[in-house]
Amino acid sequence: MLRQLTVITFLGLIIGSVSALVAIGFVDAVIWLNDILLISPRSRVLVSDGTLLTVITIAVPTLGGLFVGYVSQFIPERRPHGPPDVIQAAQGHGSMPVKAGALTAVSACVSLGSGASVGQYGPLAHMGASLGFWISRFAGTSRYLGTVGIGCGVAAAIATAFNAPIAGLVFAHEVILRHYSLRAFAPITVAATLGYIVSNTVFERPPLFRIESVHIVNTYEFIVFIGIGMVGAVIAMLFMRMLLQFNLLSKSLKLPPAIKTAIAGLAVGLVALQLPDVLGIGKELLRFAVIEDAFTAGELTTLILAKIFLTALCIGFGFAGGVFSPALVIGILFGALVALGMDSVLIDGRSHISIYAVCGMVAVTGPVIGAPLTTILIVFELTGNYDLATAAMVSVAFANLLGYRIFDRSLFDAQLKNRGFDLSLGRDKVIMEQRSIREFVSDNYTALPDSASLEQVRNRLLDDQTNEAYILTSSGKYSGTISMNQLMALVSNNQSLSQEARDFAIPEKLILSPDTSIWQSMVMLRNFVGESIPVTEEGKFLGVVFEASIVDAYLTTLNEIRQDENAAA
Amino acid sequence: MKSDKMKMPQHKKRTIRQLIVLALCAIGLCSIARADPLTIVSWGGAYEESQVKAYFKPFTEATGIEIEIQQYNGGIDQLKEQIRSQNISWDVVDMVLADNQRACNLGLLELLDHKTLKPAPDGTSAVDDFHSGSLVPCGVGNVISSTVLAFDVRAFPGQKPVNISALFDLENFPGKRALQKQPIAILEWALRSYGVPRSDIYNLLSTKRGLDLAFAKMSKIKQDIVWWEDGAIPSKLLSEGEVVIASGYNGRFFNATVNEHLPIQTIWDSHLYEYSTWSIPRGAKNKEAAMNFIRFATQPKRLAEQTKYISYGPARLSAEALVWKHEKSGIDIRSHLPTYKQNFLQGIPKDHEWYAHMQEKLKHRFDTWIKD
Repeated sequence: MLRQLTVITFLGLIIGSVSALVAIGFVDAVIWLNDILLISPRSRVLVSDGTLLTVITIAVPTLGGLFVGYVSQFIPERRPHGPPDVIQAAQGHGSMPVKAGALTAVSACVSLGSGASVGQYGPLAHMGASLGFWISRFAGTSRYLGTVGIGCGVAAAIATAFNAPIAGLVFAHEVILRHYSLRAFAPITVAATLGYIVSNTVFERPPLFRIESVHIVNTYEFIVFIGIGMVGAVIAMLFMRMLLQFNLLSKSLKLPPAIKTAIAGLAVGLVALQLPDVLGIGKELLRFAVIEDAFTAGELTTLILAKIFLTALCIGFGFAGGVFSPALVIGILFGALVALGMDSVLIDGRSHISIYAVCGMVAVTGPVIGAPLTTILIVFELTGNYDLATAAMVSVAFANLLGYRIFDRSLFDAQLKNRGFDLSLGRDKVIMEQRSIREFVSDNYTALPDSASLEQVRNRLLDDQTNEAYILTSSGKYSGTISMNQLMALVSNNQSLSQEARDFAIPEKLILSPDTSIWQSMVMLRNFVGESIPVTEEGKFLGVVFEASIVDAYLTTLNEIRQDENAAA
Repeated sequence: MKSDKMKMPQHKKRTIRQLIVLALCAIGLCSIARADPLTIVSWGGAYEESQVKAYFKPFTEATGIEIEIQQYNGGIDQLKEQIRSQNISWDVVDMVLADNQRACNLGLLELLDHKTLKPAPDGTSAVDDFHSGSLVPCGVGNVISSTVLAFDVRAFPGQKPVNISALFDLENFPGKRALQKQPIAILEWALRSYGVPRSDIYNLLSTKRGLDLAFAKMSKIKQDIVWWEDGAIPSKLLSEGEVVIASGYNGRFFNATVNEHLPIQTIWDSHLYEYSTWSIPRGAKNKEAAMNFIRFATQPKRLAEQTKYISYGPARLSAEALVWKHEKSGIDIRSHLPTYKQNFLQGIPKDHEWYAHMQEKLKHRFDTWIKD
């Protein structure tokens, strides 16, 4: 017990530091690329040749797209991985493949570096999860260790990127693990704290946004914050739907993947000629949105629409990157827009624009990543302002409620559902959907060739003391079952038992494939009467499963889940 | 008293040396005495005085080369004119890094060989010993100076201004402000007052939106601004009660408080620090002697020596350890330097590359804004 406690705490320590350092390195690499590729505003004003700047603005995202689209073909599933894959690995019995992790990281770095309208937190979380999983393999191969490793990596990456350890801790539980257990909580806390220490003390990163002391002027503005939540959810759903639609459109296009991504890059470059703010993560927009008078309503509307369209296009068409930062940007601009609108509605003045901006930010982000607690905590940890956190809480609560009712828990869940991994059914079911019955196939059965006589069948059944015999063709295929009852009926009808079995074998109504999940088998078993079910693969008879084994597998799995969730140490 | 004692032997030494030089010249062997005086261009005031004590006099003593001092107010126009007319009267120019960079890009300066600079006392090569960024192709860093805000202590008996927002806060800190008639520091401060972190300032100022916001903020106090161009003015305006807050060079404010005992206090929040560099105009008449001077004046001991007279930070790391007392007042000068850790952490490093590219554009907009 004590040994295991030491191992997992140590695991949290190592994963936390490695993940945080890699996250910092990744962020720095992106900043460096943004500078040399003329994406960052500062690097752009240093170019005095206008034509050169125009050419580069179009060429860099386009070529970036070409590269990312090309590299993605070598990733398993031929697409960059992200948080959905992490969730799947943590929920099911998956692992984090090294190749997918490494290639996704490279693709994401190039995507972000070349100014694609995508986010950095998805790739960071995926990288953290991959590192966490790989490091956990040194400690052991149990499913539990792998999951804790993933949780630690994600928590440290998010804590580092946002300078917010509690948000990192909660994000890992809320989005990835989907349950709280004391045993996982300790190492993940250690990892998140280390991430924070590394980013804050060792490297002294400035926080994502800083807001001076602001407070809510009128209590009735809370009604506005609720409204921001609801409309924010609608914007989030529009964004998510558009992203999924672009993804479908991309799949239907008969073009090489690299060309598709390059088209998205080209679109970014062309829009950026008029609207350079759309390039990259949008860090400058986050800063500007909390400043009064930084935008006009028209500018805000244009930017919101452009950012929604380009991010959906970039991710739908294969750029590697997340939806977290774009959602933050879209949301914060939306909140600022509401604040401007309120100027003409509220007579006795409104609260500072930053409160509205932050409400909008969480209202759009919450439904997209399906993490209301995390978003509230990010706001609280970065600002330390109760008024702000309270307003954000109101907005995010309504936003998530509406998003969940109409769309899904998050974009990640919707993407997973499209891949046949439906988390809305509960963890129990998902895990049992992931586990097949293959390991429960038994060779404890009676089988005879179809050339055997009924008498031989009867004798074997009597010898084996069973009721059912499986009749197989000469090539080993299942042709049907003959039961003792059937034989007795034949005898009482004075039929000769010297006839060949093949004419009497009746295929069972229920035949399972070894890939059938435990859950599906349970559903099928509902109307099944008998002692064992034949399992065939492409017609070939593999063996049988007993009803009891399936029930046993079901109970064992349930038990494992309970252990995961209730384990204290 | 102590300083008088110190001076006596030096004075004697110099007399003896002058006699030797005279004697040598009499027999036609003096190449040193025939050497042209070196024309060094500096900024006047307490700053120039400190250079005279730490660099110019000791250099003349060591080499016999006389130094002729001229003053300018920064910028590269005069330099441009000299090069254009091929009437180059300057040998060494003390330039802020942004000017140096601009002039270097335009080919107005000689390229300098950093490898010939003297190593640190512990043997560290000069290239590793200088603050990162203070060695540039056409310049060698000498001091780190800051543009800071200072306020008249008498004007605010209650709440005192502690950070940069005070400059734009007429409600809590009413009164006139003296600011430099240049688009330097004020733009950074305007964005800082919106809560923009130091590391993002130049990225945001590179967007139209960022500049608009900065100018909008400046417009709010425009009616209360008194513009200064000469660095000696701000402390004068403060002490005479003409203004309550002023921007200025940290060395000038130090001089005003410590040497002249004026009721002025420096605000270190968001000070804009920059490197000054020794530069040589392209085609300078005494190029070799100029480089000799630069090698002499950038030794750690010389750099530390300057902090005895003025509160600018030395450009070399090894010089920091040699810094201690301010000669005149006897106070520990370390906490008055921009390079003092507590101060340094609050500072904004002036982005000279950005300035070199943006200066003309900013100046144009700034001048138009002032006239509006």
